[in-house]
Amino acid sequence: MSSHTIDRAAERVLHGALRLWGVEGAVSRERDALILRTHAGTKVRLVRAAASRGWLLFQDERLLGEAAGLPGLLRQLREELAPRAARGRLIVGSPLP
Amino acid sequence: MTPTPVSVITGFLGSGKTTLLSRLLRDPALERTAVIINEFGAVGLDHLLVESSDEQILMLEGGCVCCKVRGDLVRTAGDLLARRAAGAVPAFERIVVETTGLADPAPIVHALMTDRDVAESLRLGSVIATVDAAAGVETLDAHPQSVKQAALADRIVITKTDLADPAANGLAARLQALNPGAPKLTALHGAVDASRLFDGRARNDPALYEAPAHHHGGIDTFCLRRNEPLHAATLSLFLQVVAEHCGARLLRLKGLVDVVESPGRPAVIHGVQHVFHPPAWLDAWPNEDRSTRIVVISQGLDARWLQDLLEVLDDEVKACSIS
Repeated sequence: MSSHTIDRAAERVLHGALRLWGVEGAVSRERDALILRTHAGTKVRLVRAAASRGWLLFQDERLLGEAAGLPGLLRQLREELAPRAARGRLIVGSPLP
Repeated sequence: MTPTPVSVITGFLGSGKTTLLSRLLRDPALERTAVIINEFGAVGLDHLLVESSDEQILMLEGGCVCCKVRGDLVRTAGDLLARRAAGAVPAFERIVVETTGLADPAPIVHALMTDRDVAESLRLGSVIATVDAAAGVETLDAHPQSVKQAALADRIVITKTDLADPAANGLAARLQALNPGAPKLTALHGAVDASRLFDGRARNDPALYEAPAHHHGGIDTFCLRRNEPLHAATLSLFLQVVAEHCGARLLRLKGLVDVVESPGRPAVIHGVQHVFHPPAWLDAWPNEDRSTRIVVISQGLDARWLQDLLEVLDDEVKACSIS
């Protein structure tokens, strides 16, 4: 799958995540970054770095954090934008019957 | 010691759970069955309607099993096992739990899947939901809990078919769309083939992993498909993200997954909300279709979002992979 297609998919994942957390906002692309704007006025710039670093999060040019991958990125964004959103945890139970 | 299977009979108020159970217990094949009945009222009545030896029927009163007496359920099941070991009750081979009509089966299933005290001695059997052929459509429309009961079931028993035809009134189609992987059985006055209720369903049955997209009453059923194999790490990350962010919106997820590291041996994944069985591995694909199929039953999750999530995660895992 091309990087363009993946970027579009990542954009949609982030937009869908906002909805899941109950945050009103939008995600757009600007050159090498995804821009996440909430209706409450928060703007976060997300830059996809090389694989070893994953994602860089900037707010007002200040580095807000790094995430090795999408799971960490989503976690950081939720904590930043929707700290009260429901937070689940994967539990692995007994083997299948 | 082989874990004793615990099956759960759920279904909305008046849908025929007790009638079904009563009839099942008269079946010689189910002679060695212990029963736990939970009732919502202050005084239990349902146990009086079930004809079986009293010492193998235990009552859980004082609340609905899903929200108030979940710990009691696990303790009661543990007590039954202790009494069996001591010879105080006949040697049963299975336990059946009848829930209240208002119970959400998910916490009960979670308790049976995850409680450490009983994990070695008990295992989750099947989850059976009864749906009334006459009132079923109206009940599903009016009571979200009844939708959840049917959505989480491994088998659905349509009762009271002498009063209404589920094919004619749309109930059969509604249930098929809601939970396509669950076999639908009919029961007249509780009469049903017990072997089809309690025998473990083959996890390699391809029908479990097929679902045309459907939306009704706030419940979405759809199937994610992927022709390229997924990395094992992608699968793990996908389940983590879904459990972390989707919460109770995910009702059920069942999948047959083509994994890069396990060519020709697909992984079987099953989860109820955020609780999953460990992946199991089949020796071979069940039919000629080798694509990954993940059936999702949810309250408001977007199929496209989950599909995109899978693609982005796999792309990241690929980028980090040492080839």
